[in-house]
Amino acid sequence: MPTLNELTTDELISTFRGLEGWEDRFEYILDLAKQVPELDESERTDETRLTGCVSQVWVKTAVTQDDPPRFEFVANSDAAIVTGLIAVLMVVYNGRPVDEVADADPLAVLREMDLETHLSPTRRNGLHAMVERIRGDAGAPGVRS
Amino acid sequence: MSDAPRDIGLAELQDALEKPETRLLDLRPIEAFNGWPLRGEARGGHIPGAIPFPFAWTRYRLEVHELLREHGATPERSIVLYGYDAGESRQMAELLDGIGCRDVRCYDRFVEQWAADRSLPLERMPRYDRLVCPAWVRELAENRRDGRPSVICHSHYDCIDDYHRGHIPGAIALNTNDLESPETWNRRSPEELRLALAAHGITRNATVVVYGRFSFPSNDDPYPGQAAGHLGAMRCAAILLWAGVEDVRVLNGGMNRWEEAGLPVSTEPTRPTPATDYGGEIPGRPEVFVDTPEAKRLLASDDGELASVRSWDEFVGRVSGYHYIERKGRIPGAVFADCGSDAYHMENYRNLDYTTRNYEAIAAMWERAGLTPDKHVAFYCGTGWRGSEAFFNAWLMGWPRVSVYDGGWMEWSSDPANPIATGEPSRAEDTIDAS
Repeated sequence: MPTLNELTTDELISTFRGLEGWEDRFEYILDLAKQVPELDESERTDETRLTGCVSQVWVKTAVTQDDPPRFEFVANSDAAIVTGLIAVLMVVYNGRPVDEVADADPLAVLREMDLETHLSPTRRNGLHAMVERIRGDAGAPGVRS
Repeated sequence: MSDAPRDIGLAELQDALEKPETRLLDLRPIEAFNGWPLRGEARGGHIPGAIPFPFAWTRYRLEVHELLREHGATPERSIVLYGYDAGESRQMAELLDGIGCRDVRCYDRFVEQWAADRSLPLERMPRYDRLVCPAWVRELAENRRDGRPSVICHSHYDCIDDYHRGHIPGAIALNTNDLESPETWNRRSPEELRLALAAHGITRNATVVVYGRFSFPSNDDPYPGQAAGHLGAMRCAAILLWAGVEDVRVLNGGMNRWEEAGLPVSTEPTRPTPATDYGGEIPGRPEVFVDTPEAKRLLASDDGELASVRSWDEFVGRVSGYHYIERKGRIPGAVFADCGSDAYHMENYRNLDYTTRNYEAIAAMWERAGLTPDKHVAFYCGTGWRGSEAFFNAWLMGWPRVSVYDGGWMEWSSDPANPIATGEPSRAEDTIDAS
């Protein structure tokens, strides 16, 4: 099975949908969560902390020196499921040219995974806050790189 | 596991309830736990010691395991389930099997046995009927409830687009600015309110239901309150109570819950039918709000408390919480009544579907902080929305002396003569800055 870094959005959707039951899907999301790199304590600052999220979440974004410059982010949370959702967002966003970040539609990916309607409104709120942060940071490249 | 060994009878249930390792989960809708007899049972309420875990939450497939653990359903416990539907209890039991719970049993005779037998204890929230479910509002909207005139209000903060995006059929739009002043964010004057209420067709003797939509407020937005519509609805409820409207109710979970229930949503505006007059003295319940002099009296008294319904970062003075309030810190002596993450969220007062959290858990949280029903408790926040939601909870619980300190942090901090504390609180509040 491809690792988090190798996964494409299409592979993520088809793997997730191919799993039989929600128990397996739950485990798969937790497996992805385990592959999210850990931020250093020094990177968990007020600046990287996301407000409006019931769980503690820190988001660190960066832009590469490539041509065209590409967007990368890592986020950590104290809640395993939230970290799993972070992994989904990493698949959607990481490696995209910065000027294409705004075109990504993570909610459509969640819909295709049949996941969006199975998330509570509170988690959807947190996910939305994360997406807003990512989009904001990509619009101001380098601010938190 | 077959179904048979799961059954538990009354005597066994009573034995189990005596044991500390037992966890009793109530799978009915939260309103049934609060006190509504939704299936025609003789008495409404819940078995003492039960924890609400509505079966509807199992639809949150990735979160349900975590949620069960948070509600104390862990493998080392003996778990007893009860609800309205034996099938739901069995499905939940299987789910619990899946997370390693080995001792899960179902009590299936709540309606015909427990609720019917008046010698068995039952608990409920004193004003449970002021927090209503979507089905109740639907009946009201379709004029299938006799009695008082009624007005259903879709609350929004100066954002009519939120109403046009979709509202309960028959609901009118209610701008929070019609009830509170956009300069001070305090309640409007009695005369302004009299006119505003009459213009919306709201009279003293009406049944008024308020609700709003919660749609991802972010502190970085220019007007975050526009996305915190249901919090604004709580503010409206407090002001309507202060005005004296006799029958004020809140749709539990707001527009989000209505939509999740798959009920019809309208984009056709309903115009209010203005009343000739509100029909009563305003304020009809003056005790609902206190202002700064009374807040200071409460701080100094032995039987009063100011409860700060703010986030920790606001409480310790790391942030002001609002981009239009400059000063950071807290009112010295205020008790921390933790709202959750920031000025537009109330996670500690709501369930994950935005319904109001188990009232017994809220009361326990307050008690740990030192807020008890024998005191006069005035809740405040920055400008009154979160304070109003906490107040409304205490009012639902029947606490006899509860208020909103209307001015809150914005008014308090605007007067340089008022002391301010920052940092983690100590008994002596020695970090007071009265500059």
